[in-house]
Amino acid sequence: MMGRLIGVGTLSTAIVLLLSLSGCTSTLTPGVGPSPSDPRYVTNGAVTEIAPADRGKAVTLAGTLDTGEEITAGEWTGKVVVANFWYAGCGPCRAEARDLEAVYTKYQSQGVIFVGVNVRDQAATAKTFAEEFGITYPTFLDVDSGAQQLAFAGKIAPNAVPTTVVIDKKGRVASRILGQLESQSILQTLIRDALAEGS
Amino acid sequence: MGKVDLTPSPATSSRPEGHLENVDPSSGAASMPRLGPLEWARWGWRQLTSMRTALLLLLLLALGAIPGSLVPQRTADPNGVTQYFTANPATAKILDTFQFFDVYTSVWFSAIYLLLFVSLIGCVIPRTRHHWRALSQPPPQTPSRLSRLPAYEKHDIAAGEGDATRSTLLIDAERLLKKLRYRVQRCDDPATSGTSSSIAAEKGYLRETGNLIFHMSLIGVLATILIGGSFQYTGQRVVVEGQTFVNTRSAYDSFKAGRLFSDGMLDPYSLTLNKFAVTYSQSGMKALGMVTDYNATVTTDQANRQTRSTIKVNDPLGVGGETVYLLGNGYAPQITVRNPKGVVVFNDTIPFLPQDANLTSLGVVKIPDGLSRQVGMIGFFYPTQTKQSTGLPASVYPDLLNPVLSLNVFTGDLGINSGAAKSVYVLDTSRMTPIAGRGTSEKALQLTPGERVPLPNGFGSVEMTGVKRFASFQVTHDPTQTWMLLFSLLIWGGLSAGLFVPRRRVWVRITDNGHGGWVVEYAGLARGDDPRLQSIIEALARQHRTASNIATIQEPK
Repeated sequence: MMGRLIGVGTLSTAIVLLLSLSGCTSTLTPGVGPSPSDPRYVTNGAVTEIAPADRGKAVTLAGTLDTGEEITAGEWTGKVVVANFWYAGCGPCRAEARDLEAVYTKYQSQGVIFVGVNVRDQAATAKTFAEEFGITYPTFLDVDSGAQQLAFAGKIAPNAVPTTVVIDKKGRVASRILGQLESQSILQTLIRDALAEGS
Repeated sequence: MGKVDLTPSPATSSRPEGHLENVDPSSGAASMPRLGPLEWARWGWRQLTSMRTALLLLLLLALGAIPGSLVPQRTADPNGVTQYFTANPATAKILDTFQFFDVYTSVWFSAIYLLLFVSLIGCVIPRTRHHWRALSQPPPQTPSRLSRLPAYEKHDIAAGEGDATRSTLLIDAERLLKKLRYRVQRCDDPATSGTSSSIAAEKGYLRETGNLIFHMSLIGVLATILIGGSFQYTGQRVVVEGQTFVNTRSAYDSFKAGRLFSDGMLDPYSLTLNKFAVTYSQSGMKALGMVTDYNATVTTDQANRQTRSTIKVNDPLGVGGETVYLLGNGYAPQITVRNPKGVVVFNDTIPFLPQDANLTSLGVVKIPDGLSRQVGMIGFFYPTQTKQSTGLPASVYPDLLNPVLSLNVFTGDLGINSGAAKSVYVLDTSRMTPIAGRGTSEKALQLTPGERVPLPNGFGSVEMTGVKRFASFQVTHDPTQTWMLLFSLLIWGGLSAGLFVPRRRVWVRITDNGHGGWVVEYAGLARGDDPRLQSIIEALARQHRTASNIATIQEPK
């Protein structure tokens, strides 16, 4: 008799256990906007540098810029490219905008390409932002197609907005700054490192 | 864990009344052996691995999970925790001391399930070893006094009755038991100096196998929750028609992941919402306006392969090791803002979050650049607006029959220029002044599709160029699902076998009666409670007589 009783007791307890434990994994806050504590808004620059031997495949950047210019795949091969993921309503993006422009002005003559990837705005909003902050480099408007974000998705993805990625001459991600640029000098160092590498 | 004990426990009540055990009460303490550290450890281990402790721990685990559903949890509902702290600071502090806001990672909860883990493993391993041995060994030898067993039958067979001999009786019994799927072993008891032979048989090993599977699956469930749970993640994202979500961490509106998640685990793919269609019931007053179907047409792009598919409620899409569920929907008015010169400075489709069944929706529009000061607008979108008797507007139908957008306007500082991250769904008006709507002499802006209205004070103008729909998706990756199903099925299967498969031992002994005849004894012993045991022994005896052609039924003496 005892064996059966224990079995039944175990059974009911097991059910309670299963129910209660599955309960703890199903709690979800219905989806609304990012909260300030959201980890993807890294406010101090988290820098990742990748040694040339460890870099993944080349990132294919292609599409139409906000200037109307068409960029074909491989067009920027052989050049160091800095891509900045942003949108107009993003606080950290606004805070770093002038620093990015300053670094662009400095390295433009050395053939460094700067390009923005706007992840949220339509053309008019992005253009107004560029005028407001005096941004002279072009940007991809990526909210509708997601093509540029997809090109970067995977291991070294832009996991925060803003994210600044330096691409080496072979088209591979060389370094990544998650969150707001802390200073111009960090980005300058990363660009100089990428320029120093052979193509 | 001793060996499986099938013998009836010695009845202590059979001792004469007043009988003294070996213990002398006056020197009781002295008779207790002193336990050394090793003995204490062994005692502790035996307690921990006992069935009673395992059950207690299971119960504690279930009880321990209760506060997790009563008190908001930091991992699931951080805002709820903050609210709780504001509402009941004193209680919250006490609860926090006992880690009630992090129940599933708390020291005490971890202690319970780790102990349960150890307890179950400590119980299962020796039992498995023993069961394995039992499976590879013949049934135990026939006991010398079968008559003491709970089920017993004795038949006398006179000489010349039928054509049976001791060996044919034995062979018949053996064949019969084998046919009844018993494992059979012949025994010759040397103590009876060759006057008797017997057969020992056992069946129902599946009972213990089932028991062990049940326990192992329970360990499996715990392990799945522990290991698998730390790899699972879930995120939500609002996508407006014509826009694309790319599976990177930054693209999610909210995201929750287990301990061992890393950003690199997100498979690269994109998902474009081509169209979101809602079908409303057109028949019957009661059902009018009820949604009969939601249909999200999407294109996924993974590794340069584009696939068109649909996502419906309860009909999710599997992509990149993840499952994409349709969670909600709403309207996203297209808003264009022009500066006083008529130049478009802002153009966006803004998701307004539904507040009721008729999709009265609340939303925030932020114009950070291009006007003389930053402008923030907050207001309601009514898909089918009417005035209530109170004079307040409301939506009375979820489809777009009379769409109206009503906006209160603020100017000043949106609070984003300093670099602080703000939610796109919240307007912080602490450093802004209202210029239209509540708190001003100006009326709130009222917009219908295609309508352009000026902003007060010559700021510019606002136009609602159109209305799109948005869908909110929930993306989950749960590697535990398959394992959970597997172990749950095994738990049920194992438990059923452990409960309903009877384990029985049966013996048949044939002894010469000294007059050329035989005494045939049948005895049975079951594990646990087995009300059918006696009838099974009786049936066995009957079948055995038939098999051996002993027609006359003799009453057992």
